[in-house]
Parts: sequence; C-alpha cells; structure tokens
Amino acid sequence: MVIFNKIHITVVTLLFFGILLNILPLPDTFNSIKPPILLLILIYWCMAYPNLINLTYAFISGIILDILLIMPLGYNALCYTTTIYLTWLYYPQIRLHTSWNKMLSLLLILVPYFLTSTIVNKMLEIDYNIYDVIISILISIIIWPALFTMLRFVRQKYAS
Amino acid sequence: MNNNLNFRQSKTVSLKLILFLAASIFFLTIDSELKISNEIRKNTSHIISPIYSTAELPIEFYHVIDNYLVSKNNLLEKNKILEKKIFIQSGIIQNIPLLKEENIRLKKLLNSSEESATSKILIAELIKVNLSPFSNKVILNKGRKSNIYIGQTVIDSMGILGQVSEVNDNFSVVTLITDAGHALLAINARTGKRIVISGTGDNRYLKAKYISLNEDVIEGDILITSGLDNIFPEGYLIGEISNVNKNFQKNFLDVTANPSSSLSSNREVMLLW
Repeated sequence: MVIFNKIHITVVTLLFFGILLNILPLPDTFNSIKPPILLLILIYWCMAYPNLINLTYAFISGIILDILLIMPLGYNALCYTTTIYLTWLYYPQIRLHTSWNKMLSLLLILVPYFLTSTIVNKMLEIDYNIYDVIISILISIIIWPALFTMLRFVRQKYAS
Repeated sequence: MNNNLNFRQSKTVSLKLILFLAASIFFLTIDSELKISNEIRKNTSHIISPIYSTAELPIEFYHVIDNYLVSKNNLLEKNKILEKKIFIQSGIIQNIPLLKEENIRLKKLLNSSEESATSKILIAELIKVNLSPFSNKVILNKGRKSNIYIGQTVIDSMGILGQVSEVNDNFSVVTLITDAGHALLAINARTGKRIVISGTGDNRYLKAKYISLNEDVIEGDILITSGLDNIFPEGYLIGEISNVNKNFQKNFLDVTANPSSSLSSNREVMLLW
C-alpha cells in the first residue's frame, strides 16, 4: 500500500507541474504551437502504471485544465480520456519499442487526440489553424525522448 | 507486487471510458447554457488565483531582472520620449472642454439627448497566464471586491479591448473584441453608417459583417463604438478598416479591420464605469 501512495503522490505532484507548464505565459506565436505537456506526462505514467494511472486521472486533470484555461467544460476531459484509453490499450506494444519507434507510436496516440479536439472545435465553432496543430504534434514528438528520460528518472527515484 | 503494478488487470476501464465520455459530452452540451464552469470558478477562486500567480512567477522574475539591468541612459532617454509625448497630448487635450461644450450646444439645437460621460476609471493589471490558443480571453487581477460587473467595458490607451464576461472574487475574465463569439455595433466615423463588427479568433483582425455591396466603405475608415448596444459607451476607438473585398458572387462585402488596441502585448488596462 505504501508504494501505491508513493506513486499517487509523485504523479499528482508532476501533474500539478504539468498544469503550471500548460498555463505558463508565452508569446502569442508560441502559445498556439505549444505541445500538450500535461497529456504527455499522463501518457508516460499510464504506460508505467496502467492499473493505477488511467482514465480517472485523465478525466479529472482534463476538467481542472478546462476550469483553469476558461474553456468549455469537458473539452480537455474528452480529449484526454480518449487519448489515455488508447495508451492503455496499446501500452504493452509501445513499451517494447526502441526509443525511435516510441516517437512514432506517440504520433499514433497524439493524432487521435488532435482529431478529437478538432471535431470538438468544429462542433463548438471554435476557430483554429491546422498548421499550428501539425507543428504542435511535431514538437511534442521531438521533446518526447527528453521528457521520457526525465520522467523515468523521477519514477526510479521516487515511485518504484 | 510488481506484476500488479505493471500489467493490465482492471476490467472497469471500458466502463470508465463510457462513463467519462458521456460525462464530458454532457458537460460540453450544457455548459454554454448553465455556465457550470463559471460557478465552479466562482466558488474556487481562492484556489485558482494562487495557481495563476504561481504560473506567472517566471515572467515576474524576468521583469524584475530586466528592470534591474536596464541602464540609466536608457531610462533617461525613455523619460525624455514620454515627457515629449505628454507635452504633445496635453496640448491636444486643451481643446477638449471647448469641443465638449460646443457638442452639447449643437445637440441642444438638434433637441437630442445629452450623453453621460464616464465617471470613474479603474486601472487593472492583466494576469499573463497562457489560456487556450482558441479563445481570445484575458484575466484581470481585479474582481468583485472592486465592484466590477459583467458587461463592463475594458479599454487600453489605444482603444476598446473587450468586455468583462465573468467576475470572481479576486480575478475576472475579459472577452476580447477579437473573440470569435463576440460582436459589437460600430459606427463608421466618416459616413456615420452603423456596422456590425465581430471577432475572428485572431488577435490581429476583426470582421465587418452584413455590409451590402453598394455601401460606401473604403480602406482607412475609422470605426468607433456606437453606444447602441448598451454595453460599450459611445465614441471609443475600435479600429481601422484594412481591406475591402468586393465579390459580386456574394451577398455582402468582405471587409476586414485591424483593432487599434494592442490586444496581445499590454499589461495594464482601464475599466470604465
């Protein structure tokens, strides 16, 4: 039980940092192409401990993000839940990949995420730029190996 | 133990998926009417505003360092420019009481009602957190304690910025005029014709809607608020028409305008009463 608590505390702390990074003030040009850091952190932890960190975490952090970012309630919750479900389905395969293949498999997880957000954007008549979305996906894939190493270090030190 | 942690066992996940998807779609559909998220923000504003200020810390730190490192010469030069600006502007302002009186006199001649001038101005600071790229909203550091109300006009030194759309205890949310869901009634200063100006979602452009093909609109026309929408007071600058595109296949003109206020770069704004 102790280890469960340890994992939960570590993940909640990291997710809090993820939320802070998500609302960190940036210039306007970077604002539209910033990667979904909170989601990337969630994906990592879902792959590490799929029984503990799954849809509940995704839904709750999505709702918190919606409230903080003044977006329609449920927007990020919907996108995060679907993405983390995909991660939860395919994590045994993704875990076995080498780090280059992991980047590709992240692409396969993130494309449905942006597809969901695009569908919701269309439904709610929110304007968006498709090139910004593509650049955002590319940036997330590029920063993934670094983030992965960092989070693995944290996991080995504090939550294993 | 480790096996328990690392491999899939729980069978409730698909149930959770259905539950959460249904919940988020339900929220998405009813939130625009019931304003649940507004209520949540209102009740938890004492938790949310520390999070905002924590996220703002790096940029505050940058500003402190920047202020500390700025050289004396730079400050003196800036001071000189600002003094010159104030000198010129106070010269221009001298005319205004005269113009006001003349305006009132002329309006009396025309038997039209007097306009009430704004009585109070409050300066508020933007909380520079990074909101979603899709919504054109900003957060102010003043809330219900400063008697801010919903629908209040927010301006900066160059023109209209937007209106207050949500008031919480210690912060409030402003919808900018460039928000895709925002529209206001403007007047073309040259011709006196009314124009509906709506946002595009891009901070650099506004869209003028429903202008018929034969109407007199040219590039460089200045748009001011009309006061007819009962939200914005009359006579504040909105922007300038930048492009008029006449396409006879369509029913209306394609008109874009540039907002005059610096929507993406200011730190301080004014609230009008």
